[in-house]
Amino acid sequence: MQTAEEQISDLFGSFKAEWLREKIYELFKEPKYFPELLTGRPCVLVGGRGTGKTSVLRLLSYEGQFARSGRSPQAIRGARFYGFYYRVDTNRVTAFRGPEITDDQWVRHFAHYLNLLLCDMVLRFIEWYQLQTGDAVLLPPAACEELATSLNLDPCANLIELTKAMRLARVRFEAHINNVADGRHAALSLQGAPLEPLFEALAGLECFRGKMFFFLIDEYENLLDYQQQIVNTLIKHSGALYTFKIGVKELGWRRRTTLNENEQLINPADYVRIDVSEHLSPAEFAGFAQEVCNSRIAQLDLPGSSGDIRSLLPSLSDDEEAERLGIRSIADKILKQAGSELSPIEMQVLNTLPPLLLYFFEFRRTADQVALSTIIRDYLSNKQTWDTNYGNYKHALLFTLRRGKRGIRKYYAGWDTFVLMAAGNIRYLLELVVQSLLVHLRGGMNLSEVVSADDQTRAAQSVGRKNVSELEGLSVHGAQLTKLVLGLGRIFQVLAADAAGHTPEVNQFYLAVGADDAEDEARGGELLNAAVMHLALVRTPGNKLVDTADTREFDYFVHPVFCAFFEFSHRRKRKLQLTMRQVLGLVKEPRETIRQILATNNRRSNEPLPEQALLFGSYYGAPESSPTDPEI
Amino acid sequence: MALLSRPLLTRKFENAEDFIPPPRSVLVTGHSPEERSKYTCDWIARFVDVSIWTIADQMQAHIRLEGSSQEIQLRSQKQLTAFWASAGRRTLLIDITGLAHHVWAPLLKAALATGRQVQVIYTEPFDYTFSKAPKEGEIFDLSERITGIAPLPGFTSLAEEDEDRVCFVPLLGFEGTRFAYLLEEVQPPGGKIVPIIGVPGFRPEYPFHTFQGNTLPLRQTVAWKNIRFAIANCPFSLLYALEDIASDYPLDLLKIAPIGTKPHALGAVLFALTTSRRVELVYDHPIRKSTRTSGKNRLLVYHVSALTFSSVS
Repeated sequence: MQTAEEQISDLFGSFKAEWLREKIYELFKEPKYFPELLTGRPCVLVGGRGTGKTSVLRLLSYEGQFARSGRSPQAIRGARFYGFYYRVDTNRVTAFRGPEITDDQWVRHFAHYLNLLLCDMVLRFIEWYQLQTGDAVLLPPAACEELATSLNLDPCANLIELTKAMRLARVRFEAHINNVADGRHAALSLQGAPLEPLFEALAGLECFRGKMFFFLIDEYENLLDYQQQIVNTLIKHSGALYTFKIGVKELGWRRRTTLNENEQLINPADYVRIDVSEHLSPAEFAGFAQEVCNSRIAQLDLPGSSGDIRSLLPSLSDDEEAERLGIRSIADKILKQAGSELSPIEMQVLNTLPPLLLYFFEFRRTADQVALSTIIRDYLSNKQTWDTNYGNYKHALLFTLRRGKRGIRKYYAGWDTFVLMAAGNIRYLLELVVQSLLVHLRGGMNLSEVVSADDQTRAAQSVGRKNVSELEGLSVHGAQLTKLVLGLGRIFQVLAADAAGHTPEVNQFYLAVGADDAEDEARGGELLNAAVMHLALVRTPGNKLVDTADTREFDYFVHPVFCAFFEFSHRRKRKLQLTMRQVLGLVKEPRETIRQILATNNRRSNEPLPEQALLFGSYYGAPESSPTDPEI
Repeated sequence: MALLSRPLLTRKFENAEDFIPPPRSVLVTGHSPEERSKYTCDWIARFVDVSIWTIADQMQAHIRLEGSSQEIQLRSQKQLTAFWASAGRRTLLIDITGLAHHVWAPLLKAALATGRQVQVIYTEPFDYTFSKAPKEGEIFDLSERITGIAPLPGFTSLAEEDEDRVCFVPLLGFEGTRFAYLLEEVQPPGGKIVPIIGVPGFRPEYPFHTFQGNTLPLRQTVAWKNIRFAIANCPFSLLYALEDIASDYPLDLLKIAPIGTKPHALGAVLFALTTSRRVELVYDHPIRKSTRTSGKNRLLVYHVSALTFSSVS
């Protein structure tokens, strides 16, 4: 039998649909937007890494539908649609570029490759269908001939000949691409031409009458720009017989036109855009995620594992968290100091107040530079105003309680907190859950006991650290993204730790208008787009109506999965203004830019780094001071 | 099969300049900014009846020889065949030390297709000047170091692919971020990642640097369980390791990422040219820097044409 850790790693640890393979069909939970994908219209599913695009597209494939049906041949026959899954492979599509032939010739070459690829997927499906159902699929000889002719193949009279000719054509075409500078003539086909006769022939067969066929193209962002235009053209002109379902990262769909530069793909006339984050409200995402986690927990063969994930991960109220962060001894010091300034009746009132509120008095006293007695008397006479202020600052106060100390300085615990930290990303949520469970089990506990706030926080820090480290390898520009996140994370950490006298919970930024030259605008825009695409940042429309092409119209938030690592608030709250030059400066001259941004916000850059961030000390320069020993 | 019973077809020269190319040979070479790719005048003076063809330009799509204005396209069987044909009946030597993979791989493929004797030369560096094992927390800037994934000229594979039937074989170097980037791009099935590490390394401590530099992706994919070893400076040892992997994964398309030592990359290319199995080379095209290595160490001569080739024409 597998150990607890192995079981959890197996069920939860494979965060990527790509790694789960067959198991994704078993573990799949339908998101709310799923029915929209089942129509005969082209759909573009937009979402960051880990939002479940691949899972959804794989489930729509004929293999996915078969697995979900319990591998029933009858279900294959009765299916409403058949989907052909294809992930765009960078190593193949980048073969179709270079100075050896003209751009127009590359368009014709890639269009032919796409014809071969798409037709091959359909033929492989037919083979599979025959194998699984035992039913013969007989394409009429005339259709085979027509298809062969349109693909520029030797004549074929049946499916076997067609399959063989296609494979041979692919080998020949591979040899042609490998010697493309030889200038030899290639037997190419017209873009999309073979698809019509192929699907017409299929639609004419009894077994496929009235069925829909979907090409499921994942990781569309891997296509080169002109290649996106070729597929866009196919999407624009796909009709009743077949359609396309596209999976693409946010901002990865770089070209919206067809090969005709004046012809745009328009939503909803030409396709349905499904933005994963917009289609799931936070509450819906929480419900969906809970279902995903609980169904995986139910498969664990461990004592106490039938529990609900929400109850396994309890949260802390702000007051409970303050207790754990040592508010009691701080409050005692405040009371002791107040005793010499206040009357016995005032002291009596003070003794009944929550310790965190007392700390707020002290916090305000420091910020306003007045006597504690003045603050407390003002509180007693303007209670309502103070309660509102306290409400605004209460959570922000927690970041300051153990400022500069070693150990946990801020807790990140509870299912709802994890849901917010995942920001609609199921992969991140699973990482937070599995890491918490593993830390818990490694501490000698079992799943009938709840995971402690300490363990959840350590898990959240380690998930943040892992994802910061991973940014580097996500794309060729990963290092810039890492530096950007490290810079912004550090700024928001200092703002959170040094909060007295400042706006609480500043953890977003927006771009100043008209502050940058065109070059900085362009380079900064590219950097921010890459950061959003690879989930270094999350962006939301700002106050104005937005043009999606304008980076300035958005508010940017360091992805909250990093917040436990840096120690800033996971709740999207207030924002500061940056220029594009400052954003670029965080990558080019991080230390100086961080210092300058903090100075603009009346903070100093010598705030100690959180312990978990010390490993990036070389990026920040030698830490000016390290955390002090526990002392409350 | 044990390595002992497989021929390694290699001659080693502890001092690089002890090697003298055979008479009636053509030596194709290229100079990178690295010291080890340069030939001293004293050394060349000892060569007898050896034509040295130096590649002056190593462009993405073509090369140009020193003293010539003619461009030779790397995706052209016709031009590469003509290139070697002009060497007459001589022995063909390719010094890959200063040549980029995208240059020597198609040249080697075309050279082997001539049916003549082909030898590959490689000079080890004395040391690497960069940090051999980037520590966690040190940011590794791929954009300054690679140009991105694209097939090597002449090695594009468009074979049909069943995603579940892929075995990914990264030949690891010190730089774990390159491995992580390739994992992100290739997305191989979990459990079928079989990394190869150079053991023994050019120096005894190098395998440890390799482990250390690749810790994060090795741990995340659990690929550390599948690691295999091949002598770092021996393409044949690598070729045999790949043959073993191929027989362990008999139905899979092998996607090999030659991001480790150059002799390992040579082994991967030789494997692609000798096997009847479907193979795809996945490469991220690093940008070489002058400060990468220092000095010269051993020189190795690989008698590659002693192998039997299936797909060189």
